[in-house]
Amino acid sequence: MAVCVAVIGKDNSPLYIGGVGNDTSTDNELSRQWLVHTALDALEERLATTNTGNAGTNTNTARTDLRDLYLGLLYSTDTHKIYGYVTNTRIKLVLVTSSTSPSGSNIRDAEVRTALRRLHALYADAICNPFHLPGDQITSPKFDKQVKNIMMNNV
Amino acid sequence: MRSSVSYILSHAPGESVMSHPDYAQHTQHHACLLVLVKGVGGTLKSFNKFWERIQRVNNIKVTDSTGQVRDIWVRYVRDYPVENNDWGDFQTHRRLLGLITLCKFTNQIELNEVCRVHESLKVKYSNTLYDSRAFMFGPGSNMKKPEQEPELYSLLTDDKVSKESSMSDKGSLPSEQPDSFSSSESFPHSITSTASYPQEENFTTPSNFKTHAMFYGESDPVPDLEQNVAELINSLFWVVESKRLERSREKLEKVSLLLAPFEKKDFVGLDMESRNNKKRCMGRVTKNLADLTLQAGLVADSLSLYHSAAEILKSVNDWLWLAAAKEGLCAASAILLYPNLRNPTTLQRNASLQESSPNKTKELSLFQPTDQFRKAKLTSSPLRNSKTSSPVNPPSELTPTSSDSIETSSRQSETDNADTESIASSSDIEYQSRSYLSSDIPSIPRQPPSQFNNQYLLNGEEIAEKYRKAIIHYSKYQNAGIIETEACFKAARIAVEQNNSLHASSFLQNVIFINLTLSEQEKIQRFDTLAELYKEIGFLRKAAFCQRLAATRQVSPNNPNPDWQRCYYLMLNSFPGHKLSLDPNYVIQHQVGWPALQIQLLQELVVAARRMGHPALATRHMTFLLQTMWPHLTKQEHRDLAIQLQALSAQCEGGPVPLVLECGAVIPPANLTHAPRCVWFGPRAPAPAHAPRPRAAEPAHGPFIFTPIVKLGSLERNAKKDEGKMEYFWVEDDICEVQMKLVNPLPFELKVSNMRLLTQGIVFESIPETIILCPDSPTTVNLHGTPKEVGELQILGYSTHTLGVKSNCRLKNMPMPNKFPASFSIKVIPSLPTISVETIVAPSGHISLSSVENVGTTTNVSLYNGESTECTIKITNTSNVPIEYLELSIQANMDNQLQSKIFQYSNDAILAQLPIPPNETASIAMKLYGEADFLDLGGGGTDNLFPNSLTSNYPSRVGSPVPNAQTSLPTQSSNPHTSLSSGLMANRTSGSFRSNNSHTTSWSAPISVMPPSRGRQIEAQLIIRYSGGKGKEEHCRQSTLQINLELLPSVSITHWDVLPAEIPSQLYLVLDVSNLTSEEMEFHYAPSKHILIESKESCRVPVPLDRCPFNTTTKTVEEESIESKSISTGASTNSLELMCSEHITNNTDLRWRLMQSDITGRASVKGITLSQTMLDIVRMSPLKWEVSLNNQCIKPQEEYNCTAGECLSLGVAVWNHLSRPLHKLCLSVQFYQDYNNGVLSYKLDNRVATAGNNKVVLSSLPESTKAYHECTVVFLTPGEYKIDIQCSTTEAILDDTPIIKEPDHPPIITSCAGEISHVWRFIPPVAISVTD
Repeated sequence: MAVCVAVIGKDNSPLYIGGVGNDTSTDNELSRQWLVHTALDALEERLATTNTGNAGTNTNTARTDLRDLYLGLLYSTDTHKIYGYVTNTRIKLVLVTSSTSPSGSNIRDAEVRTALRRLHALYADAICNPFHLPGDQITSPKFDKQVKNIMMNNV
Repeated sequence: MRSSVSYILSHAPGESVMSHPDYAQHTQHHACLLVLVKGVGGTLKSFNKFWERIQRVNNIKVTDSTGQVRDIWVRYVRDYPVENNDWGDFQTHRRLLGLITLCKFTNQIELNEVCRVHESLKVKYSNTLYDSRAFMFGPGSNMKKPEQEPELYSLLTDDKVSKESSMSDKGSLPSEQPDSFSSSESFPHSITSTASYPQEENFTTPSNFKTHAMFYGESDPVPDLEQNVAELINSLFWVVESKRLERSREKLEKVSLLLAPFEKKDFVGLDMESRNNKKRCMGRVTKNLADLTLQAGLVADSLSLYHSAAEILKSVNDWLWLAAAKEGLCAASAILLYPNLRNPTTLQRNASLQESSPNKTKELSLFQPTDQFRKAKLTSSPLRNSKTSSPVNPPSELTPTSSDSIETSSRQSETDNADTESIASSSDIEYQSRSYLSSDIPSIPRQPPSQFNNQYLLNGEEIAEKYRKAIIHYSKYQNAGIIETEACFKAARIAVEQNNSLHASSFLQNVIFINLTLSEQEKIQRFDTLAELYKEIGFLRKAAFCQRLAATRQVSPNNPNPDWQRCYYLMLNSFPGHKLSLDPNYVIQHQVGWPALQIQLLQELVVAARRMGHPALATRHMTFLLQTMWPHLTKQEHRDLAIQLQALSAQCEGGPVPLVLECGAVIPPANLTHAPRCVWFGPRAPAPAHAPRPRAAEPAHGPFIFTPIVKLGSLERNAKKDEGKMEYFWVEDDICEVQMKLVNPLPFELKVSNMRLLTQGIVFESIPETIILCPDSPTTVNLHGTPKEVGELQILGYSTHTLGVKSNCRLKNMPMPNKFPASFSIKVIPSLPTISVETIVAPSGHISLSSVENVGTTTNVSLYNGESTECTIKITNTSNVPIEYLELSIQANMDNQLQSKIFQYSNDAILAQLPIPPNETASIAMKLYGEADFLDLGGGGTDNLFPNSLTSNYPSRVGSPVPNAQTSLPTQSSNPHTSLSSGLMANRTSGSFRSNNSHTTSWSAPISVMPPSRGRQIEAQLIIRYSGGKGKEEHCRQSTLQINLELLPSVSITHWDVLPAEIPSQLYLVLDVSNLTSEEMEFHYAPSKHILIESKESCRVPVPLDRCPFNTTTKTVEEESIESKSISTGASTNSLELMCSEHITNNTDLRWRLMQSDITGRASVKGITLSQTMLDIVRMSPLKWEVSLNNQCIKPQEEYNCTAGECLSLGVAVWNHLSRPLHKLCLSVQFYQDYNNGVLSYKLDNRVATAGNNKVVLSSLPESTKAYHECTVVFLTPGEYKIDIQCSTTEAILDDTPIIKEPDHPPIITSCAGEISHVWRFIPPVAISVTD
């Protein structure tokens, strides 16, 4: 399902970017980074609107459930869909699905939601490591493996 | 948002599709009249100025037939594709209604040409064009308008209906219209008639040129430009108005079907008379009417029309037109809701229609704070409103140009007035229009939506929703892609206005999905516009992404003409989105953004810069990349990028200067501080010899011994004081040094050339340095330079030239792990001289060393004890500053006394040579003397005991030769009984003591007296302090000259004694002198006496001396008292002894000469100690005796003879030589017999008879007086007799001691016994031999 998963710190620095790419030419690390990076704008904007609440005329469109960490679809391109998730500590989890692949094109929102929840749990496990410094890049191979697993499982 | 039934109603390609999206379109442009402004002919240099002036006339007010003031808005474009014009039926604002040409010509042919172009333009847009104007700029300053028939309306040949209708409209126009026409007609005439007298040439326009043309000189100010443009708009309005009226009067049942360009084939074969189709026609016409109404300034009316059109079209499922109606509704609502969309900033956006206009980014920054802008407008508006609400503007506001037309109708002048005001501020006009629209409540310029009383007015949320729907409807038609794209942009702009970024982003996102067959250029433009809008909503990353895409499109292989320059600028503009700054220091400090993306972008930027032919930029960006992204790059990447940088810089060297781009952006310098990396940086104190020292402070004395360790300590302290301010000074014009440690992190050899110091403050001349650094090994580099001024010097860093890039590496910008102070500041003092010192040891020439570097210079000299030599110190001034101050001092491990004896120099002689000009030499003579103690005890192998003297049995030498230390021994010796044993002991003890002493003196304690028997090493430092120039009062330099003096033993005096001489005033000093050298020695001990002593031999020599005078003592004692103060307090004996010792020392002149090497020297008996007995001999008596027998004076050593029974008269006279009177003197005469075996017999009762007292008491003897006593003696039996004449006093005499001739004899047998303390005797005793 997912082609890329990213964990982004609260200062918008990349903590982890992992992806499964069967097509290395296009799904390489750099293009994934571009995708996730550009999603940050929309992500931040949603957070801002969630926080400030209902500013101006857009009362109805403001985020209704503050406790919902799942932000939904951030934006989509021709080939990818990007979903967002924000923990209470402002760690952003971004999941990228490929809309070209058959499994990714008709993915349901709920699936993404569960996948991101599981990712959140994995992240929490990873930073429970006493030797991990918050704000550092996550280098744990276990985390990497499990994240890859999530991505593959859902395919 | 995309409809899932996309393209269902689409047609095959090949249709006439609108293919040129107008990305700059805004919602409010729905209400504008479109006018094309075109420059024709040669380039008009003031075209842009005119363009701006025309643009400012974007809003005029026209009073319509019913008396309502209409607010007419105009949109000017510089280029308009004809295809887009075809959509004029679909959305009327797409029609090009007016044409303004700015033509330049210089002669008739060119005039003909520009006329032709103008006409051809009219033909090109003939479908829609209503009116045109031509501004002709001829060569002269004042052009006469060529004769022509003014034509207000172009004859629209194609569209006969519209032409006819417009003509008919003109006829049916209200009565004031001819006024305005006539005025506009007469206007150019009036100008030309007044201004065209100095006419030179006559130009005639071609006959087919039927346009309203105005003629000016090329440099004319064209004051009536605005007026003419306003007139054009005025005329355009009336056409539009007529069209609107015509449309509104049409019978809805009979209207023809309006078509979008691609729809023409759709309705072929359809039943046009069906009810459905009728409705469709009705709906479309209503929509068209609504468009016209909106353009004609009746915004509120258009709302209801749009609404009803939408209702009708919805019922017939005419999606495309329904979408257009909805969009129109949104546009009208937005115009009412957000009037500030028509603010002047929108004008600037019109200006941005030109591609790659340089001020795009500025616009954005202007445009971003929309909220504040809005508020400001709101607050300021009531005032404007009150002003504009006054019905008639005073005529004084009329401009001079409009005063010509003052006679024209008041309405016209009002229009003019509005025009001139619109020039001043179009916002005024806007609020006028507002006030008109809400004329019932004029004081509130912007109405809340509820107050418009229009049920069809949409609120903000509804606008977005409607737009969304419209876009979905549009998306059903592939051919309406452009319309959809434009709608997306318009909706996004509305969302921006609503401050709803998410809506805006979703609209923008939709743009991506619209599949358009666009040219590469238009795709780029699309991304560019997207980026702009993303920027406006603060989606900087997204904007950056789009910009990067646009940039890559610019140079993609599909692009037939790649434009690297644009690509470069787009990438550069995407910096903020990537959280990059052009300033490398900012990037390093903040470390934000995603490094992987930043690296990618920078690499692409480098390529773009290189390809666009700006190698300096490429080098700069590559340096920037290496510098800022260093921590994020791998070692391999470091290497690769460094090699790339080298290749780039081979084309153009990088320098530490800001680069200014054509667009005005400044690329600040990037400095490579990572290659090579500096791990240590610190200025160094000058070398000790050159180090300036404060002159005021004393050289290091105090309780600490001057050793090199102290210096090391001070260096450490300096090193610790790294925090900027340095403790030491640098000297002007002197080479100074900064030490740094560099590491080359690259895996190849790095050549760093032209390394210099970066300084601030005073002038500093840095000496460039070139080094080659091996990979990964720290290298120490010393950078040198010369301060050229006096003051505070700040060292900010260093500059390098490596990999072809010049960098200024400032300490404050150094990468993190090394923390340096921001700068080092060092005080530079005025230049001081430098010297070189040369030493020449004169006659003996043992060793001489010369040196330029004047530290650690060592001069080795060997001297025999007592020898003296001359040492010349040549001081050469090697600087350009005269030496005006010079001071010598000696530091050695001995006391000052001794030091001054060994090293003798004259300060006056030094001062006399000052100043020493540059390159001159001064020589200082210093005398070296082998000062030593020649008295030695333990030395010789001979018997320790000195042979008895004539009068004494006692060892000559008692006590230590150190007079200061041992005071007890001489005192002991005053006791005759113990002195013998003590004397015997003394030889041993003092010997051992001596050795002790010599041990201690050699190192630990200051050498006061040196043992004569062995060689000694004296290490002394001659410290030369010198200064000159301006700073001579404060600072000086110090040179140190090491002198190693070896003192060799020469002679030694092992024993000594004193003997009375033949005459009472003299004595003999008997010395045992041993020659300690290996040569034969000639020893001079008296002016005419000398003796030869073999090597290692000993000789005894008598030295004749005068006795120590009594009177002279006081002074000498005083002199000595300074030295021997501690002793003289103890016992008076000591001072006396010292005095005598001094006397002996001063009066002996002992010289020696080595026969072979012809070295001469002196010896002295300084420090000789004398026993009490010796003192008696040495000293003169204080009383002078005159003894006579039978009035015959007795001479010393003379024997007197007489016969037994003879009466002898003995006369004794005593002179007091003391400086004070003596009291209670007891003068006694005693006779005795000396058996010459040590026994003296005083029992001479029956052998001697005396007449007269043999003992007299003198109560007082004043100074310098004589007492005389006489008695008579008869010797009864023959024999040898002696007379002991003595004088004693009971009075205590200070500073004097009795002379006791025979200490073992109980001296006192006198009547005045008891208190006798001083006894003087006449020596030698008088001897009388009595014969029968």
